[in-house]
Amino acid sequence: MKARFVLLVLLAGVFTAGLFSTHKVKAQAAPKRIEITAKKFAFDPGTVTLKKGEPVVLVIKSADVAHGLRFRELNLNVKVGKGGTAELPLTPDKTGDFVGHCSVFCGSGHGEMTMTLHVVD
Amino acid sequence: MSALCLVAALSGCKADAPSGLETRTATFAKHHIFIRNASQRNPQQYTHDSWQDGKEAFSHYCVACHGADGQNTGVPFATHLSPPVPSLASAEVQSYTDGQLKYILDYGIRPSGMPSSKGTLSDDELWSIVIFLRHLPKLGSQGVPDMYTH
Repeated sequence: MKARFVLLVLLAGVFTAGLFSTHKVKAQAAPKRIEITAKKFAFDPGTVTLKKGEPVVLVIKSADVAHGLRFRELNLNVKVGKGGTAELPLTPDKTGDFVGHCSVFCGSGHGEMTMTLHVVD
Repeated sequence: MSALCLVAALSGCKADAPSGLETRTATFAKHHIFIRNASQRNPQQYTHDSWQDGKEAFSHYCVACHGADGQNTGVPFATHLSPPVPSLASAEVQSYTDGQLKYILDYGIRPSGMPSSKGTLSDDELWSIVIFLRHLPKLGSQGVPDMYTH
């Protein structure tokens, strides 16, 4: 009987600790949202500084036609419809400068439509 | 006399097919003198994804003259230009190095009709087009470009 009681108390303790730790993780994981406007033929801002290991969501808003944002090195790609919004969640796991390109053909300056993620420690 | 000169001048502007000598001379000059970056390597490897990227990029800017298969399928004016639009599967095109193909995509070939794509397509896209060019689909397999079906 006593053993069963101790086991029950232990289980309750583990369960409670689990609840709190989940809560803590959730609070930590709320990612920062960074708005980026895409329009012919530039992203604004053109450079975003991020911290390695810190989750963020890039919120891409198109101000005109359909665009995209692709970071080949990071294996990330998102497309946004004409006048629409799309989200690109990411957690950079290495430092450096990563250049993203528009990944949806949008006209004569499409090839020069880039933005840089500057990831620091 | 002036009418004769006018006729002579206009006939000089006629877009005849180039002679064999003209073709050989131009081909030699392009391969060995004008088209640079022969030693530049493609930073991208051939994979299904990189080929798909190339196919998509090709579809935005190149199909109008080269067809979706890169072999002029369905391009109504391909043989009417001087020089005619080459099949990208031809030995003349395939014998360029990857670096030379990228150079042609970047800067075009003057005075042929091949335009520059620099700024219109990104470096990534241009290199993926080079991969697509090395693995072109079968002649006619991609149908006629949409723009010529209406």
